[in-house]
Amino acid sequence: MSAAKYDALIIGSGMTGGWAAKELTEKGLQVLMLEAGRPIVPENDYVEHVPPWEMPFRSMRDRKRLAATQPVQSTCYACDEMASKFFVNDIENPYVTPADKPFRWIRSRQVGGRSIIWGRQTYRWSDLDFEANAAEGVAVDWPIRYAEIAPWYDYVEDFAGISGQALGLPQLPDSKFLPPMELNCAERVVQDAVAKYFGGERVLTIGRCAILTRTHNGRAPCHQCGPCERGCITRSYFSTLNATLPVAQKTGRLTLRPYSVVHSLIFDPATRRVSGVRVIDAQTRQSLEFQARIIFLCASTLESTRLLLNSATTEFPNGLANSSGELGHNLMDHIKGGGATAIIPGNEDRVTLGRRPNGIYVPRFRNIKDKSPHFVRGYGFQGGAGRDDWHRGAGETAFGVEFKNAISRPGPWRFTFGGYGECLPRHSNYVELDKEQVDAWGFPVLKISCEWSDNERAIVKDMSIAAAEMLSAAGARGIEPFIDNDSPPGFSCHEMGTARMGRDPKTSVLNSWNQAHDVANLFLTDGACMTSSSCVNPSLTFMALTARACDHAVELMKRNEL
Amino acid sequence: MERRQVLKLFASAAVSPAAGGNFYGVLRAIHASLPGGGALKTLDAHQHATVSAMADLIIPRTHTPGAVDARVPEFIDLILSDWSDERSRASFLHGLAAVDALSRESFGKDFVGCSPAQQAELLRLLGEEMARDAQKIAANPRGGRGNLPEPHGNFYFTFRQLVLTGYFTSEVGAAQQLHFQVIPEHLDACAALAKEKSAPEKPVAEKSPAEE
Repeated sequence: MSAAKYDALIIGSGMTGGWAAKELTEKGLQVLMLEAGRPIVPENDYVEHVPPWEMPFRSMRDRKRLAATQPVQSTCYACDEMASKFFVNDIENPYVTPADKPFRWIRSRQVGGRSIIWGRQTYRWSDLDFEANAAEGVAVDWPIRYAEIAPWYDYVEDFAGISGQALGLPQLPDSKFLPPMELNCAERVVQDAVAKYFGGERVLTIGRCAILTRTHNGRAPCHQCGPCERGCITRSYFSTLNATLPVAQKTGRLTLRPYSVVHSLIFDPATRRVSGVRVIDAQTRQSLEFQARIIFLCASTLESTRLLLNSATTEFPNGLANSSGELGHNLMDHIKGGGATAIIPGNEDRVTLGRRPNGIYVPRFRNIKDKSPHFVRGYGFQGGAGRDDWHRGAGETAFGVEFKNAISRPGPWRFTFGGYGECLPRHSNYVELDKEQVDAWGFPVLKISCEWSDNERAIVKDMSIAAAEMLSAAGARGIEPFIDNDSPPGFSCHEMGTARMGRDPKTSVLNSWNQAHDVANLFLTDGACMTSSSCVNPSLTFMALTARACDHAVELMKRNEL
Repeated sequence: MERRQVLKLFASAAVSPAAGGNFYGVLRAIHASLPGGGALKTLDAHQHATVSAMADLIIPRTHTPGAVDARVPEFIDLILSDWSDERSRASFLHGLAAVDALSRESFGKDFVGCSPAQQAELLRLLGEEMARDAQKIAANPRGGRGNLPEPHGNFYFTFRQLVLTGYFTSEVGAAQQLHFQVIPEHLDACAALAKEKSAPEKPVAEKSPAEE
């Protein structure tokens, strides 16, 4: 491809696209980054400091508009009156599911992608995760182990800035931490009780998150205003816009093109390489093509797979790079919805000042030493404590001066645990192109067919029991275990799989370097590459895999192997 | 960067969202367009008077403003007009009419015509009914910033939800009554409650970027 204008082309500007842009430009490549959505200018578009009284519907959201244009997106907690502009329009971006297999696909199309609205929790995987498939004979083995990714965790953590507490747990390796955020009074009560009654098996710690607790690489520490999903003008949490994109742009080697909806990748049968992409300009509807020597597909798990499915050729009739037949299969998300909530007595004379955008974490404790008779793998708890606020007053019968004064004061400390559990990869959970429906740009939409299995259901059940046990140990009152039955796949927004990594080209789409087995100059580094799901939030692993793949790709280019 | 510097930075145009666009201006205009007493879209004058009287009984004016001062009745009109669906709007207005029916039955006049003591007695009766209906109410007492359930079930519960939301998310309710600060001045995971009580009562908007 001597005529290629760019060395590398990146599809998508979210979490992994931003990392690819930073790494590849810093290594000297001329890079074109294509983003389907609009540009975002933090100074204009971030809205985290809009006070509630300046929102027409206050905390109640613009219900009618959301129902009309974002019925799926608005099921996400973060899609509120201010942040809903960072989520896609569901009418323009439809997808279909079988009636009995609901799936919630939470999406963004804008420069920065979902890295603007992500949950910011960051946890390393361990060999317990990387070895699980092989140990249990599930799906295929990961082609890498912890030792291979550990330096890349170090590398991305150094840049992103991860706050947290080192614990030395084998199942949850420590990151290179900035100082941890503080636990509040009620959380310390539960932490002490967990330490005392669960003999080190269970540990409660502050959440590990990509939010700065001190100045780091020129970005300011968090000021705890609260609603991170609306943006962050101090760039205190990690995102493409706050961290990687400015660095990539500073090299002078990045061309960022928003409003560029990629239709398909162009495969050259003579070289068996991808030569470029076909694009429709979202504003002008003009058809365009762009060429490059290598392509990094970072469009998000399901969008990347959708693109490969839509890039079928005579050589690859079932989707580009799909000689294995695994493209689109083995879709996963973390299962959630199990937990418990209760009142923690005491500390009535204490409050929290600031709105800490982080909670607690209880690392996985099932199937570490003892084997659970009910399920394989495990789950971790997130959650935290806070004092009940004025919402509690709606159901009270009191009114008048005394009521006004009482309800303005903080209520009891309430602690809530919510679990995130590992989902097993199964060939039967898959996506394909729908044969009839198209999106606003005329591209075939995805048909998503995904459901939980008995293993995930057993995990959720165990969450509510284990959460109640810990609250009970802490002397909690009014313990309410819960199992949310309205938690379909997709709702954790941790979708993974559909173009898995593996050793064998016959059973996997990508090799150990996120490089397509079938197409040597095609790299896919977002969540689609995942061979299993662990139970921890996945973004940190996506970042590490992306930086690692970029390094490898540039090495191959230097050796003229691409 | 020290925290003090960060706060100082907010005061400068460098990171003020208002500097790069008119977003806050637009929001202020929307806020200012909240209907006054004469420009209500759903409530008629009598309904507005009833809502005002009930709301101020629940959250009266004290050393801080009350529900009417915080324009809670106008917020409720906005919710009924631009947020509720037809069914929940009709249900709310039906519930409001039932308050007058109860009032006439008990005291021979509409709610707004009753004495303060009679109005308080009527709220007490509504509260008793709400307590009886409690099983049917999908109350979420956990607070947080989730959205409220769509108004349904017991009218008085819905009414109280709207009054509390309208009041505590208003500028006077949030800033003066709760000492809410857009950018918290102090951070402390386990502060003494007294410290929070003595937080400055100056409305936070005076030093937020919105006000430059």
